[in-house]
Amino acid sequence: MGASLPPKEANLFKLIVKSYETKQYKKGLKAADAILKKFPSHGETLSMKGLTLNCMDRKTEAYELVRLGVKNDIKSHVCWHVYGLLYRSDREYREAIKCYRNALRIDPDNLEILRDLSLLQAQMRDLSGFVETRQQLLTLKPNHRMNWIGFAVSQHLNANASKAVEILEAFEGTLEDDYPPENELCEHTEMIMYKVSLLEESGAFGKALEELHKKEPKIVDKLSYKEQEAYLLWKLGRPAEASKLYRVLLSMNPDNYRYYEGLQKCLGLYSESGQYSSDRIEKLNALYQSLSEQYTRSSAVKRIPLDFLQDERFKEAVAKYIKPLLTKGVPSLFSDLCSLYDHPRKPDIMEQLVVEMEHSIRTTGSYPGSDVKEPPSTLLWTLFFLAQHYDKRGQYDVALGKIDEAIAHTPTVIDLYSVKSRIMKHAGDLTAAAALADEARCMDLADRYINSECVKRMLQADQVTSAEKTAVLFTKEGDQLNSLHDMQCMWYDLASGDSYFRQGDLGRALKRFLAVEKHYSDISEDQFDFHSYCLRKMTLRSYVGMLKFEDRLHSFPYFHKAAIRAIRCYLKLHDTPKSTAEEDEMSKLAPAQKKKMKKQKKAEARAKKEAETKIEESTACGVSKSGKRNVKPVDPDPHGEKLIQVEDPMAEASKYLRLLQKHSPNSLETHLLSFEVNMRKEKFLLAFQAVKQLLKLDAENPDSHRSLVKFFLKTGSTSSPTTEAEKLRCSVLEAERPSISQLQNKSLVEANKEFLGRHEDSLVHRAAYAEMLCLLDPSKKTEAIKLIEDSTNKVVQQTNGALGVAREWKLKDCIAVHKLLETVFLDSEAASRWKSRCAEYFPFSTHFEGKRSSVMPDSVYNSSLKSNENGDTPNHPMGQTELNDGQLEAFKSLTVST
Amino acid sequence: MGTGREASVSLDGVRDKNMMQLKKLNTVLFPVRYNDKYYADAISSGEFTKLAYYSDICVGAIACRLETKGGTMRVYIMTLGVLAPYRGIGIGSKLLNHVLDMCTKQNVSEIYLHVQTNNEAAIKFYKKFGFEITDTIPDYYINIEPRDCYVVTKSFAQI
Repeated sequence: MGASLPPKEANLFKLIVKSYETKQYKKGLKAADAILKKFPSHGETLSMKGLTLNCMDRKTEAYELVRLGVKNDIKSHVCWHVYGLLYRSDREYREAIKCYRNALRIDPDNLEILRDLSLLQAQMRDLSGFVETRQQLLTLKPNHRMNWIGFAVSQHLNANASKAVEILEAFEGTLEDDYPPENELCEHTEMIMYKVSLLEESGAFGKALEELHKKEPKIVDKLSYKEQEAYLLWKLGRPAEASKLYRVLLSMNPDNYRYYEGLQKCLGLYSESGQYSSDRIEKLNALYQSLSEQYTRSSAVKRIPLDFLQDERFKEAVAKYIKPLLTKGVPSLFSDLCSLYDHPRKPDIMEQLVVEMEHSIRTTGSYPGSDVKEPPSTLLWTLFFLAQHYDKRGQYDVALGKIDEAIAHTPTVIDLYSVKSRIMKHAGDLTAAAALADEARCMDLADRYINSECVKRMLQADQVTSAEKTAVLFTKEGDQLNSLHDMQCMWYDLASGDSYFRQGDLGRALKRFLAVEKHYSDISEDQFDFHSYCLRKMTLRSYVGMLKFEDRLHSFPYFHKAAIRAIRCYLKLHDTPKSTAEEDEMSKLAPAQKKKMKKQKKAEARAKKEAETKIEESTACGVSKSGKRNVKPVDPDPHGEKLIQVEDPMAEASKYLRLLQKHSPNSLETHLLSFEVNMRKEKFLLAFQAVKQLLKLDAENPDSHRSLVKFFLKTGSTSSPTTEAEKLRCSVLEAERPSISQLQNKSLVEANKEFLGRHEDSLVHRAAYAEMLCLLDPSKKTEAIKLIEDSTNKVVQQTNGALGVAREWKLKDCIAVHKLLETVFLDSEAASRWKSRCAEYFPFSTHFEGKRSSVMPDSVYNSSLKSNENGDTPNHPMGQTELNDGQLEAFKSLTVST
Repeated sequence: MGTGREASVSLDGVRDKNMMQLKKLNTVLFPVRYNDKYYADAISSGEFTKLAYYSDICVGAIACRLETKGGTMRVYIMTLGVLAPYRGIGIGSKLLNHVLDMCTKQNVSEIYLHVQTNNEAAIKFYKKFGFEITDTIPDYYINIEPRDCYVVTKSFAQI
């Protein structure tokens, strides 16, 4: 480095490098300038100066200098390496790899560059390249542990686990017998366990177990050792030994569900679906009976049997499970049991049981058949449980009755208000839900969870301003909303974007949804540092686990949701051509005025642009003055106005669609959106693919049916093919059509009719049929509307439903039907008939203006606002007495004990 | 009395973060809406205002105001109350005892309160702790009958 310079300057050059490494950028810059005074075209110095400036946030200059450096000294590996580093700092990994490769062409054995290259290859999942580089590093420096490990890991990632084992074995061959020294026991353990997991992954269970046993004295992580041993024994078909080990593990931690699962597997008492024959239920019951005698303090051992026990046995067990938890007051009890509600009979059993408990506690103060007095809070928690139970079953009025009673009993329990808020949300009154969540929030201003819950409810009720004010109560001082962004607070982005979308502000909505996408690419970026860190620290199993996690990052729900919503925004942008309003306005004006307007617009645009560049400049200066890094530039488009100016919304949508198709291929929504986007792009074969996927995933889904009909209606109606491509398309569709069973020898009208025949009792299917009926033959509109109106909302069969009734229809489906009548059938009379009918079914719904919803002036919610009582309790009979102090009524009934 | 099962009762101070708990209690315990001064006095009284928790549920409170009169400190009990379902298990006594303890520790000269004249249960309760009726104020209450109240006081022997 700096070889071509005279000694004085060569020393200065070393100083630049050192200053860069120690982050003393000003010093480095001075030294660089000193060299450049004498040798103004010295390539390596120019490059290093550029790299230094890059760290001082002077990007443009940095790139200029580094490029000049390469140009002046194209044979220098230093210049290419620096160029690579520059690209790497901007996350341009592909470009960086190219630069490193050029550098290596000049200096093939440069360890530093090889190492940097390997990190990039791991990041980009260039696995064969990664293997190659790691092999070269090992050949160059075989006495380094990290190089052995790195090579093994690269082979493993490149799907060659057995090769990785060989490499680790070769490495072990170089070790002394007394290896490792005291201070490296943990690292060595990790290596052994990694090796065992590699053997396991390649299916060599016997070898894996052998290795484990052989290395036992050197493994310090005894727990992992036992877990691995038990698993391998089971895999090797030695269940007796394995089950013994699982019992040992259970005695160490009787609340670990995986140990119970392992034990069940060893005893042949495990089923993936959770379905068991009565014979096996007997055996399982006996097993858990004996385990529960052994581990009296374990809650897992009590909870697991509730999943497999049935009927009478279940009833007995669930009663035994619930009682102590209601006595103790465990607010999470319902969430704990929530999964049991998927079972057809268990919810009824629980309802009956808890209602009996409620009754008994009210009348005797004890549980049924007991004479132990319960503490006063048991009634409260019983009512709390019942409220959630009826909410889950869709009986919102009963649920509200229970929760109101609980609030009247003990008005200070915050969870009561949260649950009441959730009930109101489910019942369709988002305004009341937000108000209740805010009431809960006020009761503990130091609780971030209820604060966040309140923010979410406010956003759901489209109260964006108060939501933002509430959210920033828990962010760091200073840059408040940006701090939510920095914390990658994705539920907030999604809820706020949804609200803007509902309010028609597509710019702000898109801004939020794309922010989520940005968070995910940041998460992906963040793995970069771990490629070197994990190899150095030897946390190999978690490292490989992390890489696998990153590979399926984009299939996670938040990303899925954000991508779907972003695509919906783009669809809406496409369907409502921009600036129509503006043009309307223009067309009304006289030509002279038009000119004037245009001029004015231009001036405005210019002024705006100037202001923006000013902002950019000012931030740039601010940074270089303070010399600090990572000062955030001001967002030039905080409200997403530029986002909605996008030229081709469908092209943008396609970007996110591809990610969805790759990572969420089993989601109906992915293909539904693919259908919508490709129909608009007139890419009929791609749209057809989407239809086929929809049919494959769920042919009976109303949206699948809609897409099918719409597709063949559209492609059948386009005029006879003219171009070659169109002809080709037609022939493909003709060949494919018979493969769709719904359409075999049938017209679309017939297929639609059959669809109705299969789902005569379902509202959503009837609505889809009616919509398609009208689409296929607009003259059948009246018939279609009548069909929807003739649907009946049946009462769900209840075995012991003494309280209220549950009906089949879901609120969100009824709202969808209402919108269909309003916006597709354009029949406001039918829509309003539907609305008043649904207002009866959903009295709390604000959409249908139900009589108990907050839009009605005399609703419970509004009267409570006036009186400001605890969660809607009726006004106190005494009214509002204006007094300073009061030692009144309460003491009359305050009985005092000693 | 008693419940057959032991549940722990603990006390906690009132801060602006949890003041709503006290407000919720007062809403159901007393037919009076308290003004901001009440809550400001309660918070500034420090250890003399406490919430009572029955197995982590807030069920009662004592709220006092500190007054200085001629160089000595007096404590006025603004409110003391326990939610109906949780009465009769000693929570009120625990709250009052705490405040009485604080009085002795901080050399308070006397502690007093107002009680409606017909509220025999309350009078009996306070007498048990050494309080005595020291005065009667006619027409103290405006909206409720009887309108008179007693002043109930406990004096501490000054050391």
